[in-house]
Amino acid sequence: MLTIGLMHYLILSAAIFCCGVFVMMTKRNAIGILIGVELVLNSVNINFIAFDRYSLVPGFDGQITALFVIVLAAAEAAVAVAICMNLYKNINTIDVDRGDALHG
Amino acid sequence: MHSLLADLELSWYPTLTELGWFAPELALVGTIVVILVAPLILGRSALRSARIAFVGALVTLLLACNLVGQVSTGGLSGLAPEAAAGMLILDKLTILVKVIIMLFLAGVTALWVLGSSAKEEFGEEFFVLMLGSALGMSLMTSTLNLLMIAVAIEAASLPSYSIVAFDKRNRKSAEAALKYVVFGGISAAIMLYGISLIYGMYHTLNVVAIGEGLARDLAAGTNTVLIGMSLFCVLGGIMFKIAAVPFHFWCPDVFEGAKIEVTTWLSVASKAAALVLLLRLVDAFGNGALAAGESILTYNGLAWGIGILAVISCTWGNFAAYRQNNVKRLLAFSSIAHAGYMMMLGAVFTLPGSSTSGKPMAALLLYLIMYAIMNLGAFTVAAIVSWQTKSEDVSAFSGLGRRAPWLAVPMVCCLASLVGLPPFGGFIAKYWLLLALGSKSAETTLGTLYWFLIIMAVVNTLISLFFYFRIIRAMFLSDDQQPEFRPPFFGTAMANLCAVLLVLFGVVMLNGPKDLAYRYASDLYMPARYLTKQVDSSDAALVATEPTPEVGVATAGGAR
Repeated sequence: MLTIGLMHYLILSAAIFCCGVFVMMTKRNAIGILIGVELVLNSVNINFIAFDRYSLVPGFDGQITALFVIVLAAAEAAVAVAICMNLYKNINTIDVDRGDALHG
Repeated sequence: MHSLLADLELSWYPTLTELGWFAPELALVGTIVVILVAPLILGRSALRSARIAFVGALVTLLLACNLVGQVSTGGLSGLAPEAAAGMLILDKLTILVKVIIMLFLAGVTALWVLGSSAKEEFGEEFFVLMLGSALGMSLMTSTLNLLMIAVAIEAASLPSYSIVAFDKRNRKSAEAALKYVVFGGISAAIMLYGISLIYGMYHTLNVVAIGEGLARDLAAGTNTVLIGMSLFCVLGGIMFKIAAVPFHFWCPDVFEGAKIEVTTWLSVASKAAALVLLLRLVDAFGNGALAAGESILTYNGLAWGIGILAVISCTWGNFAAYRQNNVKRLLAFSSIAHAGYMMMLGAVFTLPGSSTSGKPMAALLLYLIMYAIMNLGAFTVAAIVSWQTKSEDVSAFSGLGRRAPWLAVPMVCCLASLVGLPPFGGFIAKYWLLLALGSKSAETTLGTLYWFLIIMAVVNTLISLFFYFRIIRAMFLSDDQQPEFRPPFFGTAMANLCAVLLVLFGVVMLNGPKDLAYRYASDLYMPARYLTKQVDSSDAALVATEPTPEVGVATAGGAR
């Protein structure tokens, strides 16, 4: 019988992290990139909670940090979506490649 | 009230004294509330909210100065459940950087009143966001807890994204904000992943304790790859705020797309806060090595990494600035280069004790102050020119020496100071920077790195000479007979004030109170090793044991 341990959670979180980074690098749609960011943040949460659960030292720092990360992710998504809408109103697309008024 | 809370077995709550340590931030929050509530009672007025923001910044500044007496030497680590190391640190360095940020906020507010107050209809919202980012930045300067660092960086970033997008009908501004938010989100997420790995390794968020663990592991050669990766992630998140290469991609676009007041604000305040945070972090690592009993050279790799990124930032910023025709973009690359100069000190701060030895700290603070003044002056002139001529190109400056001499002369002072020419403040700042690098070059095996940094700083100063002089050449040597214009009085006064300050600093500091400044700078900082002192929770004496009686560190946990 397989027992689920810290390593399983870490592999899951690393896999989600890699998916997130892959999405961030390949997507052209701004919302797609934001989804990648959210994936990475979720892998962060899995890490924090798994480390707390399987740690030998008692403490809640990781779980509390995970709560903060959820709040930060929500706040950032709100601002980012507002900015995407603003861009859509201006140039009718949220394709990051089409934003070429600034050459950088 | 007291006993009620005690019955609830609340382990910790702030007393009035401890809230007093937090007074500057509370004042900022209060100002935000006032700006939000005032239009409900008095009706909307952009100018009024600017005035409230100005007064709020000055009140915050005074409250911060008021705290200096309470942190005679070293500082306080407060507002935390554990006595050992609080979420927030209060030392003179924090106070000083807060003062710089608040003065700069007042300056930017004045600039906004000059340029946008007449046509802006959302002044309240603008200043709420502006002060919100100032709040995040002031928190960034005063923490050594990874959770607090992440929260503070986000608190500074989110309002910044919004104020970049503030000009809603402007396509450039919308694109700049999108780039900023995408890069910012990515770097914040990756930074948090690094933090989670570090937390997994050492099961603490306190940077000082982490520094000890890292030093032990690095000395033993375990987990090196993991440590390198997670440190890169965490420092990358901070360098994103500094806009150091290779995390600088957002900087020129955002600076070009945003309104010029916002550009001015971002160019100094967010960099200053992030630099102080970086140096605190790096210093805590160095002291951690000392506390763990490992060689102080454990963090050699970190020092080299930061030093080389600093050199690349300088060089890249200076070379890329050549191709720019837009003044805001040019100043953006200039700010990347200046961030590089200041980051060179990061390589010095990895040596334990350098933060309290005076020279590097004095160099950093003088550089920050000079940089704030010269950038405010240069951006003020650039803003006035762009409002008058409706163009942000370097060519808009042509003939400014004839058309508006009272703008051209301070601009020359600010640009010469940005290059680092005597007798302006920028020269002294660079001179002290080189002295600080040189002072450590004989001590350790890191000497090679420091000499390399010194040489690169000098070479970069020479490179930067030419692109700053393009603007000066346009102002005095080329004249396409455009009509004269009458610059606004207060704007001219502000630019000239900056120039006078630069000259004053340049002359006074040249031969003046260097030893005094070093002595003053040596007790600005609360050495990180005090933060790890375990204070017995039953001990109400709250003063960490110290060899000398005047060096006392109060921790919040005991002050119940």
